[in-house]
Amino acid sequence: MISRRRFLVLVGASAAMAMLPLQISAKSIGSEAKNEAKRRWAMVADIEKCTECMRELIKKTGNEEVKPPCVVACDRENNVPEFEEKEIDPQWMRIVKFKNKFGEEFYVPLLCNHCENPPCAQVCLTQATFKRSDGIVEVDMHRCIGCRYCMIACPYGSRSYNFKDPREGLREVNPKVPMRTKGVVEKCTFCVQRVDEAIANGREPEPACVEACRKYGKNSLVFGNVNDPNSGISRILKESIVIQLRPELGTDPHVYYLPKR
Amino acid sequence: MPENLEPKKIEFKKIDGSSFGYFALVAILALLTAAGIAAYALDRMYHLSGLSNRVPWGVVNAGIPYFIGLSAGSLIVSALAGVFKIERFKIFSRIAAFFAAAYIVAAISSIVFDIGKLYHFANAIVYFNPTSIFSWNAFFYSSYFVICALYLLTQFEEMERLTRFFACLAVFWAVLVHSGTGAIYSFMYSRELYHSALTPPMFIVCAITSGLGLLIATLYFTFKFTKRDLEIRLLRELGLIFAGLTAVLGYMLAVEGLEKGYIPALAPATQFVYLNPYHGIFWSFWLLVIFGIIIPFLIVIYPRTGFDPRFLSLAGILHAAMVMAERFFLIVPGQVYPSEYLPGYEIESLHTLEGYIVSYTPTIFEWLQVIGLLSGVFLAFVVAAKLLPIIPEKAVVVEE
Repeated sequence: MISRRRFLVLVGASAAMAMLPLQISAKSIGSEAKNEAKRRWAMVADIEKCTECMRELIKKTGNEEVKPPCVVACDRENNVPEFEEKEIDPQWMRIVKFKNKFGEEFYVPLLCNHCENPPCAQVCLTQATFKRSDGIVEVDMHRCIGCRYCMIACPYGSRSYNFKDPREGLREVNPKVPMRTKGVVEKCTFCVQRVDEAIANGREPEPACVEACRKYGKNSLVFGNVNDPNSGISRILKESIVIQLRPELGTDPHVYYLPKR
Repeated sequence: MPENLEPKKIEFKKIDGSSFGYFALVAILALLTAAGIAAYALDRMYHLSGLSNRVPWGVVNAGIPYFIGLSAGSLIVSALAGVFKIERFKIFSRIAAFFAAAYIVAAISSIVFDIGKLYHFANAIVYFNPTSIFSWNAFFYSSYFVICALYLLTQFEEMERLTRFFACLAVFWAVLVHSGTGAIYSFMYSRELYHSALTPPMFIVCAITSGLGLLIATLYFTFKFTKRDLEIRLLRELGLIFAGLTAVLGYMLAVEGLEKGYIPALAPATQFVYLNPYHGIFWSFWLLVIFGIIIPFLIVIYPRTGFDPRFLSLAGILHAAMVMAERFFLIVPGQVYPSEYLPGYEIESLHTLEGYIVSYTPTIFEWLQVIGLLSGVFLAFVVAAKLLPIIPEKAVVVEE
């Protein structure tokens, strides 16, 4: 019969084996490390224009839950699946109503805030969520273990867990964006694939939602580099009082809202 | 404590384990464990839990602090003998240490059941994140198991000094592990209902009470089932420690609830949590207070029931079961109640459930996973009692 001592040694050895690295992660560090410090990406949303756009769309379609062009473009660009059950349907960008006590309603887009001090990256067990030096907070789904701690930590509800395989909820697939699998967490990336591509080609990057907003003629969303004092976004931030969501937490979110004037 | 309460020499003996009852018990526990594993597999395949993007942590996650609590509590009891040199508690030290090791395995299994990508699990060790409390805990849990195993081993080999050393180390580690587990939840500054510095110490108290409660019942039934002698005075003593700490737990819960209720910003949330009987959260709290704290406390201090091992076991089981409600109460309200993104503005999402009070009802598949893990612990104990000398031949104090 196996002795106690041998049994415990075996248990210990198998525990050590389980800790050995089983797979290689594909965590990326960002495309052009040497230029990164120059850039810090951020977005501004104009609440007045967003509210106007949503009111028009709701009136036109009669659908209270209509998806505006920015959300549709985001879903399509980033392979965000669509499931019937709202409880488990991943949504990177979504529109919410802000209601004040006078009964007035404002429509505001919500997305990942790409915080300067991201709580999700702070709590991530495996550093699967990480902040690039250009400020974009990304999830490496090869590293994510699906513990959902980041979803608890995120103050902005920006993260979705894949309860189902996303491919079940997709009609078409954009091959430029990595496909996630069941059991990992995903969120807005500021369309990192577009950002990297534009920088490599010397162009100004434009996420899918911003592009859709511009093409729709609203120009509510502005994306840009806040480390460049001459960028459009820097001018807006310099000249106006802007709102950040839950700034008291010290996360320093980089999605700003221009209040209604 | 009077000297004459000390036993002379404790004989630990394996149990025979050949009766029909023994095999029936093994079969029942094995069946429940298998059901838990099957429920896990089915849940993974078809998403049968009540979890959602608004409530990503449910009862399987609550199993993590629950089992860690039972483990830490059990260990602290076991080590009473070693750390404080209370010789008569040595009788229980092996059983309790065994349970400590088994529960920590159940806790780690809870994590395994809860995470979405099991084959990425090793990343938690390979890519250690120093700012993540959970990451630290992954290290604490595995090292804690090793310490428990070594502590048990030194007891089997009857190495007196080393046992004492490991007892002290294990108690320190148990406090560390369990505070760390409390911090996983309570350091979450983004959720007001989670955030509290009181949670880690409350976890320690809760760990000892739940671990002790279940241990009292386990001891009673083990000695009864194996027809060995168990002196009621020893159980009574454990019961008194149990009752005292239960009261401390009630006190801490009261302080925390009152403090949260005092903040105007949290008033709607606290009202929802403590005073809204239309939601399960209300019941998880008040069932804990009534059946988990008040009734067990009264059972122990009331002389007619406080000396009866059956009632003491009942108090222990009631409390240990209700501590699961405490874990539920800790984890779920902070997710169910919506956060305010822009102070002073109500929000309502068009495309998700943000801004709404969402419901979370654990499904049978989630409960089966927790029950399966608990059964697994007892299965391990029942089997180990036959293979290893962990149960004393008799637990009586010798009067001279």
